[in-house]
Amino acid sequence: MKNFDYLEPTTVNEACALLKQHGGDAKVYAGGAYLGIVMKQGLLEPKALVNIKKIDALKGIRFDAKEGLIIGALVTHRELETSALAREKFPVLCEAEKEVANIRVRHVATVGGNLASGEPLTDLAQIFMALDGKVKIASPAGERVLSLDDFFVDYYQTSLAEDEILTQVVLPSLPARSGIDYVRFSSSSVVDKPSVGVCARVTLDGEVCKAVRIVLGCVGATPIRARKGEELLVGKKLDTNWIEQAARSAAEECKPISDIRGSERYKRAVVRALTKRAVTAAYERALRS
Amino acid sequence: MKKSISLRVNDQERNLEVEPRTTLLEAVRDQLGLTGAKLGCDIQVCGACTLLLDGKPVSACSVLAVDAEGCSITSIEGLSQGDTLHPIQQAFMEFGALQCGYCTSGFILTAKALFDENPKPSEQEIREYLAGNFCRCGCYQEIMQALKNVRREG
Ligand SMILES: Cc1cc2nc3c(=O)[nH]c(=O)nc-3n(C[C@H](O)[C@H](O)[C@H](O)COP(=O)(O)OP(=O)(O)OC[C@H]3O[C@@H](n4cnc5c(N)ncnc54)[C@H](O)[C@@H]3O)c2cc1C
Ligand code: FES
Ligand code: FES
Repeated sequence: MKNFDYLEPTTVNEACALLKQHGGDAKVYAGGAYLGIVMKQGLLEPKALVNIKKIDALKGIRFDAKEGLIIGALVTHRELETSALAREKFPVLCEAEKEVANIRVRHVATVGGNLASGEPLTDLAQIFMALDGKVKIASPAGERVLSLDDFFVDYYQTSLAEDEILTQVVLPSLPARSGIDYVRFSSSSVVDKPSVGVCARVTLDGEVCKAVRIVLGCVGATPIRARKGEELLVGKKLDTNWIEQAARSAAEECKPISDIRGSERYKRAVVRALTKRAVTAAYERALRS
Repeated sequence: MKKSISLRVNDQERNLEVEPRTTLLEAVRDQLGLTGAKLGCDIQVCGACTLLLDGKPVSACSVLAVDAEGCSITSIEGLSQGDTLHPIQQAFMEFGALQCGYCTSGFILTAKALFDENPKPSEQEIREYLAGNFCRCGCYQEIMQALKNVRREG
């Protein structure tokens, strides 16, 4: 690893100012789970690291009646996994977190870093998107709020500018009669990242689907909404036939690459199977809610 | 370029001079001579480099030493009380839960963190917590036996 300056601001403003001052030469450092690897491999050689861990405003999980569940960028995977508040509001998050990476990564790696790295092989983004989540972003010029759909740009690329910091993830409460489910498949290749992760959310009006989200992770440069699959289900009473059609559509809408986690064809088949399971479970939960 | 940091290592205050790029594993092995934690994969998947940072297992291969400033570190060398082994160490010996020993300190420290958090974990909970530690000698059965036994005693 090449050497670098190490900076420890205590406020968001100070951190943004430091980033601005260094131009693209400085990188935000949160848990370091991603940076540790890419810097050792020489893929990134920042001249400075701006460690944001001393910024209290980025910590903690809280609930706001108007906004919803607010997750600070510095919240670690393990904190989210074991948070009683998160379990009360969105148990799907805690269940998904159990399978993220390993206990050591979960203890240091943060939710903010998970999104900001723009890595495609992750779990949280597709769940946040199915929940219509937003991110808050601070810059020297002020704050902006972005939907998760607009946040991801390409492989390892987000809409964060060089001097911007992701401060919070905001998850609005689900409408009544909603159910959500996340299913992930990992091929247990050496690095235990998911091969495919599908999140489905169904909101009912009586017994008919009023809103549906099907978000596919790890099978494209960014998480992908299977919009055609969603459209097939809106206005319908779900049955196995409709769900099968939506799952088939999702398998066509994703853009997987062949790698050690499976060939393109195989991953499409996995998307189809997982979409079926996730939509079915989300629908059943919505009916029971 | 160097930075002074203080760490509380196995209950002793230690002051070190490190570069920002020095990993916690390098600081603990090369500067403090505590060589129980090993470098394996270097990408956070094997667990050979595990240390406890404020009681929680971390991959010391990927934590910056400067980032651990002011923290408490536990390495395998800090587990026994004089000649008396920690119950998990004792169980590993009794059940032959190791061959080459390369992974052992990582498994034992991770298990310690688990038992500190949850004194009576189920077999499933043990498996989930230790899932990120690899043993290339394949002693998983013996490791499970040892840990299930610690559970019964505890
Ligand atoms: C072995 C391994 C297995 C993994 N498995 C999974 C998995 O199964 N599922 C999953 O979802 N993820 C997985 N991950 C990814 C992991 O969750 C992310 O690498 C991690 O969350 C990154 O967070 P961090 O705090 O360590 O980020 P860092 O490494 O500190 O930073 C990551 C990137 O984001 C930037 N950044 C960080 N925080 C901010 C912020 N607040 N604002 C702006 N920019 C910021 C940094 O500049 C850097 O570019 C795995 C990672 C590893 C190493
Ligand atoms: S050497 Fe650190 S996890 Fe493998
Ligand atoms: S005992 Fe050899 S690696 Fe586990």
